[in-house]
Amino acid sequence: MTKRLFALLLAIVPFAAIAAPETYTIDPYHTFPNFTVDHLGISTIYGRFNKNSGKVTIDRAAKTASIELNIETASVDTGDVEKGGRARTRDEHLRTADFFNAAEFPRMTFKSTKVAFSGDNPSVIEGDLTMVGVTKPVSLTVDRFKCNPASGNNKERCGGNATGKIKRSDFGMKFGIPNLSDEVTLLIMLEAVKD
Amino acid sequence: MQQLLEHPAVQGGVLPLIVALIFGAVFARTRYAWLALAVAFATMIALTVGFSFSPLTASRKVTLVLLAAALVGVVVDSWPSTARGFAPALAIAAGIVAPWVFLSILAQREATAGYVAAAGIAAFALVMTYAVMRLRSDGQRVGAAGLGLGLGVGIAAVLSASIGFLLSGVALAAACGAMLLVQLAFSRNIVPGFTATLPLGLGVALFAIGSVLLAELKWYFLPLFLLIPAAVALPAPGNLPRIVRAAILAGYACVAAAIPILAAWYAARGSLS
Repeated sequence: MTKRLFALLLAIVPFAAIAAPETYTIDPYHTFPNFTVDHLGISTIYGRFNKNSGKVTIDRAAKTASIELNIETASVDTGDVEKGGRARTRDEHLRTADFFNAAEFPRMTFKSTKVAFSGDNPSVIEGDLTMVGVTKPVSLTVDRFKCNPASGNNKERCGGNATGKIKRSDFGMKFGIPNLSDEVTLLIMLEAVKD
Repeated sequence: MQQLLEHPAVQGGVLPLIVALIFGAVFARTRYAWLALAVAFATMIALTVGFSFSPLTASRKVTLVLLAAALVGVVVDSWPSTARGFAPALAIAAGIVAPWVFLSILAQREATAGYVAAAGIAAFALVMTYAVMRLRSDGQRVGAAGLGLGLGVGIAAVLSASIGFLLSGVALAAACGAMLLVQLAFSRNIVPGFTATLPLGLGVALFAIGSVLLAELKWYFLPLFLLIPAAVALPAPGNLPRIVRAAILAGYACVAAAIPILAAWYAARGSLS
């Protein structure tokens, strides 16, 4: 009886190892929190943050996951780098206290509080977004998610796209409303490499 | 109407001017007339970002300090005998308050760099506040100084990428312009006292420092703003017709304000062309 129990335990151990939460480090070269805002009710301005870091944890068996994303606000980039005839670029303005206030709040963070799964993959990520010193709940819908297995020297890599909407006035960022819309659409493209 | 209220020129200039004109005219024969500055500034804040103090960011502290300074000014002006020591004491207090306003930014710097920046900020706020308070008995000089300081700091701020501080500066300039007009209309000097000069001096100092720390203004342009109260203190005989004297003083202020504006323009563009 003891031998059978021991054999059963031996058989279970590998599956238990697979079921353990797996940790991934965000790949900053393939992870970009993007955003869009409406400008004067005419067009849509796209922007993104170029510097970010964080961790992702997934336990597929338990269907649980977590994500922490740290974004450097000074890396905001709307593609407006040439001053032309102006004194300052739009990106310089976005870094000031009128918007992201990068000197006072160099980072914004997103920390998940609950991740819902559809099948084996995350489908909805609920979390707290902290921006310009204010923390508010945000819901992100995962549009796609996939993991590529390790091959050769490459470690396992998971990633996907998630979208959501926020009102920037909820975070006290009221400058320019309504000419620059209050509603901001978030599009987060994320890749993470297994530790 | 709503579209009009959302225009930055209306929010920062037109409505603060109208509000200050009405307030100044209504209270012209009281010691509270110069509260028009604080009221005009509050109008601009209400129309743009609104009154919210949580979290207490540096920009929100600027708003809080400017409005509190106006109330402190009223209290000091109401003191039975305004002793000579008030101006230096209030200037020192301004020098202490200024680093507190920007503490969250200074705390992120290396220890020595943070202390040096705090000392520079304190010195600038102290000197600017004192320089403006020295003009407190002459309503035309204070009106002209406020016009030059508001425009100088505001335009330098927008050249440094901060529209928020532009609107703040323009609101104070509009209010000071309104008080110049009120004094012309009533043909009398409305003594500004500490009610006007404390929030004006400390306010513009904080707008300028904010443009350095939160936007792109170079720190070494800060002393150039001190030329404005210095220029307004130049001779302007009291026996001149009021409108001529006001124009001369406003001219002094605007010429002096052009210096930091041009410096900021040069720094932003790399050339004057």
